[in-house]
Amino acid sequence: MKNRLRELRAARRWSQADLADRCEVSRQAINAIETERYDPSLPLAFTIADVFGLTIEEIFQPDRPEATDNPL
Amino acid sequence: MEGVLYIRSMANQIQQDQLTRAARRAVLIDGIPVSTLGVIALALGSNPDQSTAQKAWWIATTIVFTLAIAWVLLRAFRRADEYLRRIQLESMAVAFAAVLVALQVATLLDAAGVVRLQQLAQVILLGGVATWLLIADLRTRLNR
Repeated sequence: MKNRLRELRAARRWSQADLADRCEVSRQAINAIETERYDPSLPLAFTIADVFGLTIEEIFQPDRPEATDNPL
Repeated sequence: MEGVLYIRSMANQIQQDQLTRAARRAVLIDGIPVSTLGVIALALGSNPDQSTAQKAWWIATTIVFTLAIAWVLLRAFRRADEYLRRIQLESMAVAFAAVLVALQVATLLDAAGVVRLQQLAQVILLGGVATWLLIADLRTRLNR
């Protein structure tokens, strides 16, 4: 799963520790999510979205080729 | 203003690193006495010709050691967030597999009369705890 965490965090000038504090998780967790080594649980994804004031879809995107009109 | 923000962010990062170190230290603080208890249980069980009293002490120490391991695991689990919990779980899975394989080998060697399972069981359990702590520690250290 791709995400815009680093970009959004940089725009707000937050460190990983700042974001970790706001989401009440460890800095390693934020680092792992940013580097796409770990996909957060749905509750954590909601918390992250709340912290940034965005929806989950605006932060996380599925890591798959663009969907086409023809599913086959 | 930017400088103040930067300093505050750095201070926050240092504080978080200290939190991580404190969490790691807490696991070691829990783990070291339990491992010591394991070594004591091992020493008590090393004599093949035990009296009834010695056997009772050995069994009691082993039970306390086993309960202490469960307590350490529970505390480590409660302390962790979901990412660290996953790391703990994966490390435990590897340690569990290592303990299973080692116990199987020890059982075969015991059946062949090469070693005594009674003497090896606690070493294997201690090895499992050590494997778990080592893998969890290395993974949190390397993936910063």
